[in-house]
Amino acid sequence: MSIGGKPVLSLREAVGRYVPDGQEVMIGGFAFSDPTAFAHEVIRQGRRGLTVIKTSGGVLVDQLVGAGCVDRLLSCHVWNSVGPVPAHCFRRAVERGRPNAIAVEEMSYGALSMALLAGACDLPFMPTTPVQGAGHFTQRTFRPDKMAVVASPFGGQPVTVVSPLKPALGVFHVHRVDRFGNAQMLGPTGEMRFAMAACRRLLVVAEELVDTRVIRERPELTAAPGFMVEAIVVEPWAAHPSDSYGYYYRDLAHHALYGEMSATEEGFRRYLEEWVFAAGDHAGFVRKLGDARARDLMARSEPWW
Amino acid sequence: MVVMQASRFERMLLTGARCIADGQVLFVGFHWPMLMVRVARRLHAPNLVVLYENGIVEDHLTRVLPTSPCDLVAAEGAPMCAGSLESLYMWLGAGRVDMTLLEAPIVDRYGNVNTSVVGEYGRPKVRLPGSGGGTELASLGRGLMLVSASTNPRSYPGRVDYITSPGYLGGGGDRQRLGYKPGTGPQCLVNPLGLFRFDAGGEMYAASLHPGVTLDEVRASFGWPIRVGEAVGLLPEPTRDELAAVREELRLARERAYLLPEA
Repeated sequence: MSIGGKPVLSLREAVGRYVPDGQEVMIGGFAFSDPTAFAHEVIRQGRRGLTVIKTSGGVLVDQLVGAGCVDRLLSCHVWNSVGPVPAHCFRRAVERGRPNAIAVEEMSYGALSMALLAGACDLPFMPTTPVQGAGHFTQRTFRPDKMAVVASPFGGQPVTVVSPLKPALGVFHVHRVDRFGNAQMLGPTGEMRFAMAACRRLLVVAEELVDTRVIRERPELTAAPGFMVEAIVVEPWAAHPSDSYGYYYRDLAHHALYGEMSATEEGFRRYLEEWVFAAGDHAGFVRKLGDARARDLMARSEPWW
Repeated sequence: MVVMQASRFERMLLTGARCIADGQVLFVGFHWPMLMVRVARRLHAPNLVVLYENGIVEDHLTRVLPTSPCDLVAAEGAPMCAGSLESLYMWLGAGRVDMTLLEAPIVDRYGNVNTSVVGEYGRPKVRLPGSGGGTELASLGRGLMLVSASTNPRSYPGRVDYITSPGYLGGGGDRQRLGYKPGTGPQCLVNPLGLFRFDAGGEMYAASLHPGVTLDEVRASFGWPIRVGEAVGLLPEPTRDELAAVREELRLARERAYLLPEA
């Protein structure tokens, strides 16, 4: 850990350096701040056998699963929340093993939040609220020790506890970052503050790189201090089609487009060809989206500071 | 102007909205519950505080209708944007919520909700999204109202294949025995047929029906022989203002890519 400047990588470099086949990676975002640009680069580089941890799977996880990048998935839910319509690739993988079968481990959002908090604090477990009787308490796939019920040392009812989760790598979308890696999030933060702290290594994908004075004017917005951040990627529109609070809104039309195209395997392949491979990189994706569309989605035209 | 008769789906939204009292603190899950809250705000409950699992506190009718709690138009003008520890544990779990609204597309005799898998877990016939915070809404939420837009008996099996959000589990004292707090567990279910409640043993029964709904229709919609309350009530017809509020919200929802039922 250091307080010096952090390497600023392109997405291509970051995926090449940090995400080999078989990597365990927690991807940030809770149906907002989903770093879709990162997932697209993983798909372009043809990664296989990943263990993906993501609280709200959404379109991002659906695409990674459909592209055959994922072997194991720990998540709270996977869907396309506009409509809503199913996450078609996720369904095909679980129901029919297409393009490959995946192992799914499930926890509710509250339980997974506590597991990440335990990991972040390096505690042996965290108590949570009762979940016995629920399917994801009984059903264990690749984390057989995810939860247990213990007697309370202080009397009263038995207590459900969750084991700590410390993802080997975290990749999180943030709004702005300085060259020291001090990374700020605006708006709701879901589990992000402690999930970033739970990860053993942390990369941030920021909408913009700002002067450190901007960060220091509002230090309470820093969700990950620089000493926890290993490298920085700066990628505008990285969270599209999800929201990036204060930068741009959820792109409903793109969610709908993806929902329609991904309904068949052939359509999903066309989506990848048009929006991921042919685009070349995320700047190409944004160019394809077009200026007019981007202006419609922008939350503001002036910078925050 | 001729006011078209309310559809049963519209009646469902209104019946849910009427269950919300002004001044309450609500914890709201995605989809139809969000529309019910907006209808209530337009009609009789302008002073609601709505909490979402992502940490947003929403204390007014937002200018733009959110497609889900994580559609951040929900955060516009918010008095607080926090995170999941605040929302699920400090607010919902700590009992600071008067009423909790959860969509229940598949729900059984004891109010257990399945949003995970139909069929065997390892080889499901249909894979659904999973829990999200739905488990916490059902396990921790006070004044829990379930909402289902379905009247298909497949949406109301005797026992769900998978319990995503625990209701009264096997009925009787199951819930209490496993350490769930008193005051939690589903209080009612609202669907296009009317309002359903749960008896002391945790079993669902028909309490009040929308006008024109027959008992035979009710029985045919459930996968178990559902009990009809001894004095099953009749829910009031919507007023012109109520129906206008529901239709305005549905118009906005359609603009925001909501998939709406035909009728």
